[in-house]
Amino acid sequence: MIRALGAFGLSGLRLTGALGLVLARTVLHLPSLDRRELLRSVVLFGYGSLPLALLAAILIGSTVVLQAGVYAVKFGARLYTGWAAGYALMREFGPLLLGLVMAARIGARNAAELALLRINGQLEGLRGISLDPFRLLVAPRVVGSAVAITALGSVTFLVAVAFEAIASYFSLKLPLRVFFESFSDMLRQGDLVGGLVKTLAFGVAISLVSTVAGLRARGGAAGVGHASASAVVLSCAAIFSLDLLLTPFLTRAFS
Amino acid sequence: MCASPHHPPLRLRTERLSVRFGEVLAVDDVTVAVAAPSRVLVTGPAASGKTTWLKALAGLVRPTSGEVWWGDDVVSALSPEERRARQAAFGMIFQSDALFDSMSVLDNVTLPLVKRGVPAAEALRRAGEALEQVGLSAAAERRPETLSGGMKKRVGVARAIVSRPSVLLADDPFAGLDPETERSVGALLLEVSEGRTLVAALPDPSPSLPLPRVLRFDAGRLVADEAPR
Amino acid sequence: MTALLRTFGAPAVLFGKALGALRRHGLDGRATMLQLVEIGSKSMLLIAAGLAFFGAVMVTIAWAQARKYTGNVTVVGPAYFELMLREFAPLLVAVLAASRIGAGTSAELAAMAVNEQLEALELSAADPIAELVSPRLVASVVALPALLVVGTAASTLSASLVVTFAFGADGGAFTDARFVDAPDVACALIKAVLCGAFIPLAAAARGLAARGGAPAVGEAVTAAVVDASIGCLLIDFVVAAAFLLAGV
Repeated sequence: MIRALGAFGLSGLRLTGALGLVLARTVLHLPSLDRRELLRSVVLFGYGSLPLALLAAILIGSTVVLQAGVYAVKFGARLYTGWAAGYALMREFGPLLLGLVMAARIGARNAAELALLRINGQLEGLRGISLDPFRLLVAPRVVGSAVAITALGSVTFLVAVAFEAIASYFSLKLPLRVFFESFSDMLRQGDLVGGLVKTLAFGVAISLVSTVAGLRARGGAAGVGHASASAVVLSCAAIFSLDLLLTPFLTRAFS
Repeated sequence: MCASPHHPPLRLRTERLSVRFGEVLAVDDVTVAVAAPSRVLVTGPAASGKTTWLKALAGLVRPTSGEVWWGDDVVSALSPEERRARQAAFGMIFQSDALFDSMSVLDNVTLPLVKRGVPAAEALRRAGEALEQVGLSAAAERRPETLSGGMKKRVGVARAIVSRPSVLLADDPFAGLDPETERSVGALLLEVSEGRTLVAALPDPSPSLPLPRVLRFDAGRLVADEAPR
Repeated sequence: MTALLRTFGAPAVLFGKALGALRRHGLDGRATMLQLVEIGSKSMLLIAAGLAFFGAVMVTIAWAQARKYTGNVTVVGPAYFELMLREFAPLLVAVLAASRIGAGTSAELAAMAVNEQLEALELSAADPIAELVSPRLVASVVALPALLVVGTAASTLSASLVVTFAFGADGGAFTDARFVDAPDVACALIKAVLCGAFIPLAAAARGLAARGGAPAVGEAVTAAVVDASIGCLLIDFVVAAAFLLAGV
């Protein structure tokens, strides 16, 4: 039991150390990022995930209204649906659910690609011809995936809010004008900024965690599978933890 | 002896067989018959369709068009249960060995018998005999991942012959082996395929596995059917 | 569009095959128990912690807004509990399970597929669907409602603790079940069972179809978790809409 706890603590420490190392090295390399590789990862992770992010936004927006709509009717607060739904979306459900979907799409893929590079010895190969694999391959991915997730987050918010309005129109017979009036009267820029800060934080977490998971991969096909699976799971854990840590701060800063 | 064929000899034939994976046409219109028993080598460069054709012969890959014949039966006309029962006539040695690392060597070899409902005592006896024939009795309790490449290949051979098949299929059995191990695995394949049909796929013909008939594949097509000079 | 068809078509086909395999071979009780332990032990901590964190976050947000507009946050307590039990917990438990179970299942099956182990099983007279898919399907259908109970309890508990100790108000209001009725529980359980069935099927469909080498395994895991998450979001939406239309 104690040994198991110790092993758990040790692997936790190792993980934290690896995360810190990747973060520090990426920040160090920020001025000298390989432009082409950065562009490639923004396109691959961002543009490639756009259809999925839009689909997720439509589902998230509509579901939030369906879930909250019953109560809006029950408490006679139908007119405030725009506010409640918009607030819940930007402050919590938008970043959280989008983050979880992106952990799958971008985190798993990033981890799988890095795991392949590592298992095939390509990272060592670069080092062999005295090129820094971190600067060339790893750092651009960390930055690229974080940028991609934040950018997708902002687009997603717009689409999700639009579908909230549409869902309110169909399910609560709430005119679009009323939805957006309560939306714009009672919500502030701070609410949007708060949501975007969360999205950015989740994006950075997903990119760091999946990079570490990918670089730690060992052995064949099973190793690649294990790396991408643990990237997804660790990203989810990181997202929920960050959500808990950031929310009190963000509600105070932007309310 | 334990390894003598238990199933009657089986003629194999593919008739205008094509297999498509998404965009890739892996096997393209291949018609060829394999007499029972006979020994055939299938060669061709990587991705030429050897493996897919081999797996189609064993009913592991569904044809996109065309037919695979086992004796007088068309495979696609068999029910899943029938097909599974008749697949007992095949033993396959996989390129990646396909051993289960979570089980001991002995359990790996016993698996095909256990799944076919052979009583445990007899299954153990036959698996022991098969391991003895491939020279691995001492490694019965080890895990496959702790074995060398040549030893894994031998475990694969033992698993393939344990259900006494009439057809042995070997997909690139020399991949990753050093020349000496290659020779001994080649000799083992010739020995255990005595009285059976052996169809082996190799990138190039090898003196370690001299077989009387050679089928050449290229880009999914059968380009030559020849006896070696 | 074709991608969407693939997301739901392949699991549906596999569902049919798994039912057929269950009818022919019965259920392998030992393998199912093993999968249940595997799913339970690996998902329990993630879901309990995730939902506890989420509960704390939600009351923090509600608190900030309530102070501005209504003054007293505890009046929304009972409604919050109903909403959590009926909508939020099922949604988040499903999405977390989609990540955990979806990633694990697809990684394992995809590695077996590219290592030719599925074909080795088939030649050993074993039905890969009966051996690998049916036990996972049954275990997941059983596990998800149980995980939902754990997740709901964790989120409720943490919400009431945060309200009591961080905000100094009556946290008990957030465990007040006066609004909860049978349709709420039914709505939550239906979502859990449907997602419980969909997740392993989506993951297995991607895993079993993996071809090639190690790159195919990474692709399979990515696609599986995406399919499973989007599928659970959609299932959630459809069930919520159906209950709303039925007016319960």
